[in-house]
Amino acid sequence: MRGAGVRVSTGAALVGALIVWIALLGPLITLLAHLTPASVWNALTQPGALQPLVTSVTASLVALAVILLLGTPLAYLMARGRLPFPRVWEAGVILPLLTPPLVIGLLLIFMVGPETPIGAALSHLNLSATNTFLALVVAEIYESVPFYVLGAMAAFATVDPALEQAAALLGDNRLRTWRRVTMPLAAPGLANALAVTWARAMGAFGAVLIIAYHPFGLPMQIWVTLQETGLASALPYALVLLVVALPLPVAAYIWSARARRRL
Amino acid sequence: MLVADFEVARREFSVRVHLQVPTGERLALLGRSGAGKTTTVEAIAGLLRLSGGEIRLGDRQLSSARHPAADLPPGQRGVGLLRQNPGLFPHLTVLQNIGYAPGVSPAAARAAGERLGLGALLGARPRGLSGGEAQRVSLARALQTRVDLLCLDEPFNSLDRPLGLELLGLLRRELEESGTSAILVTHRLEDAQAFAQRLAVLHRGEILQVGDPRELVLRPSSRKVAELVGYQGWLSGGAQTMAVHPDRVHPVGAGEGGEISARVLGMTPRGARIELELEAEGRWRGRFRCRSDRSAAIGERMWFAAPGAPIFPTPDPGGGALSDR
Repeated sequence: MRGAGVRVSTGAALVGALIVWIALLGPLITLLAHLTPASVWNALTQPGALQPLVTSVTASLVALAVILLLGTPLAYLMARGRLPFPRVWEAGVILPLLTPPLVIGLLLIFMVGPETPIGAALSHLNLSATNTFLALVVAEIYESVPFYVLGAMAAFATVDPALEQAAALLGDNRLRTWRRVTMPLAAPGLANALAVTWARAMGAFGAVLIIAYHPFGLPMQIWVTLQETGLASALPYALVLLVVALPLPVAAYIWSARARRRL
Repeated sequence: MLVADFEVARREFSVRVHLQVPTGERLALLGRSGAGKTTTVEAIAGLLRLSGGEIRLGDRQLSSARHPAADLPPGQRGVGLLRQNPGLFPHLTVLQNIGYAPGVSPAAARAAGERLGLGALLGARPRGLSGGEAQRVSLARALQTRVDLLCLDEPFNSLDRPLGLELLGLLRRELEESGTSAILVTHRLEDAQAFAQRLAVLHRGEILQVGDPRELVLRPSSRKVAELVGYQGWLSGGAQTMAVHPDRVHPVGAGEGGEISARVLGMTPRGARIELELEAEGRWRGRFRCRSDRSAAIGERMWFAAPGAPIFPTPDPGGGALSDR
């Protein structure tokens, strides 16, 4: 009797899990169901059709590089509790995550727009942080940086400080310890964080809409096509966005799962 | 020579250490949990800042409370530290772990691994190793690092006793060969005696006595030291208290010079011997234990001799002077 009860509850759990899985993949399945190879080919061979893709990939790569460069040491210091007032730092990182992207865009206009001191300083350098490539990068950074810093923090927290101490005792200075022990051990978690950040940067829309309508990235292209020519024309771009944004996260996920198994 | 004369502030008490370890000497630091043993070796290894004093090794100043900015970082002090947690790098193979320190060639690492019986495991990752194998790797790695002083913070305590003692013996031979000084932190007197040439007893951050490992057990300078080196019976005789060690008291026949008359309360097998639990009555009163070769009957009255047992004033203020009988 008891065995039968366990079987029934296991079966119910499996059915529930399957429903959740299908529901989560539903949008992707729907997308593929509504596209034909001809419609994708047709959309992508229009003059200038690939430019938004190039813009999005380049801006996201730059945003990712900046986030990696500045976010990694910050995440490490936060994970090791080396910053004063740690809660304040944490709040600063989480805030962009909690703020609606549209609001981030609005606030960025007030922070780096042409009428602001930062905007004025940028204009001296012949730069502008509104409706430029730089604006797109800034908007993508604000929308995606918390995903990296929080993920990287969790990755560094899994590295036993005793191992870093052991490396120091064996003669490594901080930089060598970081390179030979901390980074290799945190790498699987960092790869995951980076992959999620990449997907978020590629798909950044709310803040981009306000501060970087031009140059057109892929999300803007989807939005404008949807507005001007309707749903069917926008779907091929949606597929392209997914095709470009998803492989890195999937590859990173597979690699980090394998790397973790080796440790 | 290591000259450590320092203080490290802790929450409950400060650890104040005055210690000298000549080159090539093996010193054991004996004390209970929380006595400040780990704090002492971590300060020497450069993992803790001093709140007073300084630490010197040879002609180099390792740490100073006056100029903490000039403290040498852990890897440049010539001090190694082996802990209970082997601290192996999980992403590296056994061979890469052994050869981790800068300047260690793969051939030297391989030879060190083979010398410690790790030849078949050099390509393995630490994850699959047993506790004993992991400690061997850690030991091989520590010995590969060129240090003038190796600190050992109860490194083999999580292993079973025969294996722990075997590794301690192995380590002792390696240190003897290389002439490296060592400080062993332990709460086990037998480990300290098996390893060290000199023993320092630490209690609540203070070194109470330093001496020859056997001599220190025979002549503890205070009741606290006596407690820490294994004395378990405290027999009251008016203004004096006799400290009785279970191994230093033995039954004698009536009229054969025994000074303690006692009744048997219980018996427990202890290895090949029997540990008698006894209640002394007469000039010396109180409970004590005696490891004896012969069994006895519960309630039996016997005489015991405790030649050389230390006597302390009663009540002991905490640091009573030794008066040998």
